[in-house]
Amino acid sequence: MTNHELWQAALGEIELNISKTNFITWFRNTDVIKTREGAATVGVPNAFSKEWLENKYNKLILRALRNILPEVKEVEFVIAAISLPELATPGRSTPPRRKETEIVNQSFQELEINKETHLNPKYTFDNFIVGSFNELAQAAAQAITKNLGRLYNPLFIYGGVGLGKTHLIQAIGNEIVKNFKNEKKICYTSSEKFTNELVAALYNGQMEEFKNSYRKIDVLIIDDVQFLSGKEKTQEEFFHTFNALYQNNKQIIISSDRPPKAISTLEERLKSRFEGGMIADISYPDLESRIAILKAKCYEKNLQISDEVLNYIAANIQKNIRELEGALNRVMITLKLSGSLPSLEQISKILTGITSPPSKKISYKVILQAVSEFYDINTSHLINRCRKKELVWPRQVAMFLIREELKSSFPFIGEKLGGRDHTTVMYACEKLNRELQKNESLQQEINLIKERFYSI
Amino acid sequence: MKIICLQENLKTNLNITQNIVGRNLTLPILNNLLLETEGGRLKISSTNLEIGINTWTSGKIEKQGSITCPAKILSSFINSLPNKKIELEVKDNTLFVRCENYKASIKGLPSDDFPLIPKIKEKPIIIFKKGEILKNNLSQVVGSAALSESRPEISGILFKIDKEAIKFVATDSFRLAEKTIYQTNNLITKPISLIIPQRTIQELIRILTEKPDNEVRFILGDSQVLFETNEVQLISRIIDGQYPDYQQIIPKSFETQATLLKDEFVNNIKIASIFSSKINDVKLSIYSGKIDILSQDADLGENKSQIPADVKGKPMEVIFNFRYFLDGLSNISTKNVSLGLNSETSPSVIRPSGEDGFLYVIMPIKT
Repeated sequence: MTNHELWQAALGEIELNISKTNFITWFRNTDVIKTREGAATVGVPNAFSKEWLENKYNKLILRALRNILPEVKEVEFVIAAISLPELATPGRSTPPRRKETEIVNQSFQELEINKETHLNPKYTFDNFIVGSFNELAQAAAQAITKNLGRLYNPLFIYGGVGLGKTHLIQAIGNEIVKNFKNEKKICYTSSEKFTNELVAALYNGQMEEFKNSYRKIDVLIIDDVQFLSGKEKTQEEFFHTFNALYQNNKQIIISSDRPPKAISTLEERLKSRFEGGMIADISYPDLESRIAILKAKCYEKNLQISDEVLNYIAANIQKNIRELEGALNRVMITLKLSGSLPSLEQISKILTGITSPPSKKISYKVILQAVSEFYDINTSHLINRCRKKELVWPRQVAMFLIREELKSSFPFIGEKLGGRDHTTVMYACEKLNRELQKNESLQQEINLIKERFYSI
Repeated sequence: MKIICLQENLKTNLNITQNIVGRNLTLPILNNLLLETEGGRLKISSTNLEIGINTWTSGKIEKQGSITCPAKILSSFINSLPNKKIELEVKDNTLFVRCENYKASIKGLPSDDFPLIPKIKEKPIIIFKKGEILKNNLSQVVGSAALSESRPEISGILFKIDKEAIKFVATDSFRLAEKTIYQTNNLITKPISLIIPQRTIQELIRILTEKPDNEVRFILGDSQVLFETNEVQLISRIIDGQYPDYQQIIPKSFETQATLLKDEFVNNIKIASIFSSKINDVKLSIYSGKIDILSQDADLGENKSQIPADVKGKPMEVIFNFRYFLDGLSNISTKNVSLGLNSETSPSVIRPSGEDGFLYVIMPIKT
């Protein structure tokens, strides 16, 4: 029996023993807050109710509670706002004379501060699942909420799609709102919104207002900063805003889908500034974390799903937490429609749409095609004997990709690429692996090529 | 219960207690006052379950006891009596009142059913030496609080207390009043902020009008506050919530500043208000050396007046709601006022010239 049910049952008995007016006056907005070791704590809306219940109805309440829960030995009362709106007493109605003027009169915008943060309250640290894949980012995030602007500034969080970047940075914002109440001005915005506002300000000739509005902020959270790439004026304005805030020790939090170095056409001075603080990445969740996430979601949605099914979902969707949730939603809908938990076979059918089919067969030809398209050369150039530098590099990339993606043997690759020796292929793979570690933009390049042949 | 006391003393305390008594249909006993003997004096209590007031009247107690009786009837009757000795006696839930040639019997209810007014046992954290000064300070801000309950945190007066100063703040998001009192003997360990309902402060002002010379002790309890003088206690809930960070609204610098005679300014704005339209708009045009005050309404006509002023900065035209503007000016008692403006859409500040501590911020009307 929950505390609430206990109190409702007790109220049923109390109601019979006292007059209706007394009951309404003194027992409105009360509830049992906790019961522990024989003591029940009753929350009451104000000091008057507390005095009255404590001194006049104590015995009655205790008796009513004991009839239902015999181990209750004492009752205590605390003032706790259970539902505030009901507290208003009669005789305080508002004179309507102001109504007309309120429409035109401007009000102090600053009082509506919460509308300005644009934070979604559902993202909190409490429902953020921590695993080895995001430990560092989460710890850094937690740390800065206690030490604004001094510890890690800026905090740069990057990671792939659907891995919880937005959740994490919004959770920082919400935590700061909670810790500092309204003392800190927080602004959550996406780089796209920043750009739009800038364009609007330019159009309306209100650059000053735009600049000032961003420079008054205590905590600036920018989501998906990679979209700034290529927008020079926005970058410049953002650079100035960044500097202004940074110099005043205001906290800046940035998220992106790749590290600052890998964001092409981002100005050097911004890159280096992003790197000046703390860079934390969120990688792919491991199996255990994925299961933990699914369990948390089930709990949130109040679903009973067997571990077997959760394991299956977690094992099949590996790279995206958002998809994980999507898969769970599908299972949930099926559960609701059929009324019973689907079997594993059914689940695998349900999920075929989302789970990427176990490695769609790509042949080495597709890779060659993609590489040659990417570097804008003819496929035959990859195969022939020419050793021009602009052909050698794509050829090595192609070798590397065939090795990595198809796990083909070195002699096989050598044979297909114009009958080359297997050591040539080995050299190419080693070279690329080495380069990859040094050169972030190469990673970018490789990813772009992969996108090409996987999207065919 | 049997007591003899003076009409004047009884009248004052009845007036203090009976004002919060409203018509309460669910619990009729709240329409009553509680009269009981306590510590050799007559204690009169009232409550609306949000505020509670206790008063003590000195007199000669012949027999202990208590009763509750309707507030309006008792206070109306006592108010009409001459300032002579009054004898109050309780028999069988009826209160018999005798004074010279007047007699009355008032039907009452037993005192057992009267709500218990919470007790606060903590030590006072602030002592205001003179009630009248506290009253004047609170009167300057109390009118600016929001009347609607839709945003409870600004429907009260903010008390911001630290070691050196006490600030009273009220705003309804269109204007804001702040009063600072410098007082160093506050018994607090760390700065505190609390929001007290506007009604409570209005009651406190009324009580202090009746008892201007007493010292007032300010005591903070568990989610309630107590204002206490030697003869009166006022207990109230505190509004739960976070007061907005109002400091950032107050402009730090001004584009235009003007200093002018307050009484003349008030008069000119009152004249302008006659011609102002439904939205209460009055336009101030500030030039070097003078301010033009203009109001017009399509149906009524228009009016323009000029007032000399010491103006610094660039010329400006701003439209205000004259009610809010007069509210601010009426709380200023100095000869001159200074006006600080930044633009026709940003907050302006009214201050008394040559006096620190009071500040009135007002938002213009958008054209």
